[in-house]
Amino acid sequence: MNGLIKYLRHEVKKHTFDYLLLVTVGIFFLVSINIFKGERLLEFIFLLAFASFYIIWGIYHHIIDDSLHLKTVIEYILIAFTIIFLLKIIIFP
Amino acid sequence: MYTNFMEKVKSFFHHLFIPHENNNFRAKSLHPDFLMMYLVFALVLTFIFKTTGVNVLGFATDVTVEKLYQLTNQEREKNNLPPLALNDCLSQAAHKKAEDMFSKNYWAHFSPTGTTPWDFMIDIGCKYEYAGENLAKNFMFSDGVVTAWMNSQSHKENIINKNYSQVGYAIVNGVLNGEETTLVVQLFDKPINSTVAYTESLINPKSVQAEEIVNVNKTKANLSSLPININIIFMIFLLAALVLDFYFAAKFNIIRFGGKNLAHFIFVTFIFVGLVYVFINGSII
Repeated sequence: MNGLIKYLRHEVKKHTFDYLLLVTVGIFFLVSINIFKGERLLEFIFLLAFASFYIIWGIYHHIIDDSLHLKTVIEYILIAFTIIFLLKIIIFP
Repeated sequence: MYTNFMEKVKSFFHHLFIPHENNNFRAKSLHPDFLMMYLVFALVLTFIFKTTGVNVLGFATDVTVEKLYQLTNQEREKNNLPPLALNDCLSQAAHKKAEDMFSKNYWAHFSPTGTTPWDFMIDIGCKYEYAGENLAKNFMFSDGVVTAWMNSQSHKENIINKNYSQVGYAIVNGVLNGEETTLVVQLFDKPINSTVAYTESLINPKSVQAEEIVNVNKTKANLSSLPININIIFMIFLLAALVLDFYFAAKFNIIRFGGKNLAHFIFVTFIFVGLVYVFINGSII
């Protein structure tokens, strides 16, 4: 457990701005879908925007971290698109 | 034999969730080939639900007149008020109102042509002294509708209004602003005292129309919860895989190239919170 906390502290300290940005956009995403509750099209647009931001964030973060690799970009894209398609079934059939 | 089988199961889960040399020091469940498999699975599900016509929030919600009526009276009971009687006349007026909203494509108490909710009641023949209306759309569950109404002062005032003695509901599916929508119309009234005979004949908890709506929605209820459950199970699985991989990689000081588990975890968590608390809720006016 100590190893995990140490790693987390190191990672967040090293990339404070990046993680703060991701969390802030996440909060904006939740607030937006809460404001437009029941407006399925808008909810889906907010989901698309958040997922797109997440992919761009991943690329930007790994460029800064000097660890950008095609496999890494694909990982972000696959997770984002899986979530989009799964939620599409619920939000916007 | 049993021990051998358990060893295989243990080895399978170890390979799936714990980073070690055999899975290139990353949980197999987070490898690109597995992530691709999840995407294919999501696409297949989207196709299946589209072709079978199981629309989750649009046409197959678990909102029923029976439950709405029960929850509304529970809220009145908490406020020491007598229960409302389910009224067929009001249910018919509510149904007309919902149909009007779909045909004229509006989401409001008053139609663009100036028709008020009371006009539908008068047209059907409901004679009232006081009346009120609550509207909701795109809710997944009945308790979500009543909770949202109770959290809004104006809607709450209708539900716990001592002047009302009757209630009517309509749950109607249709297309509103290009979206498949489930509308819930709740009408309240206090009938005019002089029409005692009329009132008595209408205060019938087992109104035919209400039962019809309940039955229609009950048959759809089982279908609607499936995609929600699949989403929740998948996200919990993904979060568990990320946490375990993250924990053991930190514990064994494994340095590797790849996406950041912390970032994936933050992203999936926000989506999960959105799914549980927001997407299943609709809007009220």
